[in-house]
Amino acid sequence: MTGATTVPFERLDLDVHGTPTTVLVAGDPAAPPLVFMHGAGTWHGWGFAERWTDRYRVLIPHHPGYGDSGDLEGLQDVHDLVLHYVELFDQLGLTADVNLAGLSLGGLIAARFAIEQKHRLRRLVLVAPAGLRGRGVAFEDVFRIPPDQLMGRLVHRMDTLVPYLPADPNDVDFTVDRYREMRTTAIMLWEHPFDRVLPRWLGRVDIPTLVVWGEEDRIVPIELARSWVELLPHGTLATFPDAGHLVLDESPEASAVVARFCGTD
Amino acid sequence: MGLVDQAEFHFFHFFPYTDLPPDHREHPSLWVDFPNTNYDPATGHELYNRYLSEMLLADKLGYDGLVLNEHHNTQYSMNPAPNLTAAALIPQTKSWISVFGTPPNLGYPNRLAEEYAMLDVMSGGRLRVAFPLGTGMEYWANAVNPATARARFRESIDIILRCWTQDGPQSYAGDFYTYRYLNPWPRPVQQPYPECYIVGTGSSETIELAAELGFGYSVVFIPRAAQLKVFDHFRERLAAHGHDPTPDKVAIGVMAYVAETDARAEEEFLPHVMYFFENALRTTPRYLNPPGYVTVPEFRKRIQAADVHGSANWEDLVAINRIVAGTPEKVADAIAAWIEESGSSRLNLNLTLGDMPNWKVVKNTTLFAEEVIPRLRAKKEAAA
Repeated sequence: MTGATTVPFERLDLDVHGTPTTVLVAGDPAAPPLVFMHGAGTWHGWGFAERWTDRYRVLIPHHPGYGDSGDLEGLQDVHDLVLHYVELFDQLGLTADVNLAGLSLGGLIAARFAIEQKHRLRRLVLVAPAGLRGRGVAFEDVFRIPPDQLMGRLVHRMDTLVPYLPADPNDVDFTVDRYREMRTTAIMLWEHPFDRVLPRWLGRVDIPTLVVWGEEDRIVPIELARSWVELLPHGTLATFPDAGHLVLDESPEASAVVARFCGTD
Repeated sequence: MGLVDQAEFHFFHFFPYTDLPPDHREHPSLWVDFPNTNYDPATGHELYNRYLSEMLLADKLGYDGLVLNEHHNTQYSMNPAPNLTAAALIPQTKSWISVFGTPPNLGYPNRLAEEYAMLDVMSGGRLRVAFPLGTGMEYWANAVNPATARARFRESIDIILRCWTQDGPQSYAGDFYTYRYLNPWPRPVQQPYPECYIVGTGSSETIELAAELGFGYSVVFIPRAAQLKVFDHFRERLAAHGHDPTPDKVAIGVMAYVAETDARAEEEFLPHVMYFFENALRTTPRYLNPPGYVTVPEFRKRIQAADVHGSANWEDLVAINRIVAGTPEKVADAIAAWIEESGSSRLNLNLTLGDMPNWKVVKNTTLFAEEVIPRLRAKKEAAA
């Protein structure tokens, strides 16, 4: 389930405090590390990250309960994943000067990780991050969107996703894998979809942070971008036209901007 | 002597809201998100009065008990709070009142222990209860996580049983509920507590829980043949936990209609059975299986199994469910056979279903009481 890739990702299978964890790795081991935390699905490929491999050592861990990683026993909330990543970063020697990017759910995890572990980080990139409740924005989350609409709403142009979708929309393995990922998401977010830590503590993240949003996002409304930038001490916003929630997949420019941002002094 | 000897006949009413708008077929689900603007309180008032009168009729006709259940956000049931209905029935009835039941994990378990104890005390010890996990749909309607529903279900039952079996005040430190003073008033009349069932769909997890606790087990939404295997397994597990697997430990559901001839019974019953399966039960796979409601392997099994919610033809329904329409002889014979094959002495009877009009409910409930139950009792005497 690593998607259609042209750059070969090496696959690491690790034991992270009892959780079997898969990490996809590509790029020069000596290059600066760029860790990408995926959203609530692992099926739509890593094409955008391939563009980063010429400048960075790119690491894409599958979260526990997603993709090829095992389940985290006793998982309760996002903080369990923060601790999981503290352990994983220790194992991989990611102790300083790490660039961290996260999309959607991965953006929430990355932001929570940064609040506690900012000393490990050089740059933070939050791509359409989940977890903040908007003032005057009607509540809707990934659980409320009917599955037959979900794929279409992830993107501005459906052809972005077609290569990653099964030929049969009722494909059993694909449906079961998505159920497992939604189950893991539900364990953490069903009762409290909005994070109670972020509004109080994002102010600790005093490293340069880029907030990225597709202007046609129909999953996490772009109106929330302003709240993120206001809460982050060094947050800047970059928005991209003709791109939906999966803005990195739809906008090569967005992916390039992320690479440049992480490379700035 | 057969099991018919011990059979109890319980009148089960779903309290459906049946005044659906003409365009209701355009809604893939009549649960969860079917707009409540389609509920007219004046019609609801009439239906409550009518349904209560049907329950009272069953009580007067000598049925062993009256059965209620709970669902949310749906036309399927006007009993989101069945304990209120039970309380309304208690002063007017003599039979058992079975609340089959409130998912104990949707609220606070001490509160459910209190409510059931109230009903038991008010009725002078006529309460029976069942603990269902609740359908997937209930988790879209309530503020409880489907992914932790089963663990919370188990803990809730543990708390309720502590309320009923240990002297208060106690304290309780659980994964989901913390009580500093667990000391509910009142306590139930029936000691140590009213007879309890678990309602499930045959998963080994719920069977094991019912067996461990020495509860009865009732299974819904799976075919008759599969139910028989479930019952055998359940009785094995009951015995393994040191409980006597008596016939009252298994409850079976029966949909029956009695009339002068088989043809007339089928003609009068069929439209309401079809309404029940096509409309009342109509929902989507998404609402049936919210994220984490079942394990990943169980989900794989379910998406490859036949869907019983919202599509049906009569022959298939009769083949996989306990549905019978006919003369008193035909109905009595079918029921006697189901009692024997399932080893159950507890019958939950759906003598009213879907949009059945009051006259048919009265006719069927009366004929069943006066012509079917005596025939089953006669079988007992003939066998003895």
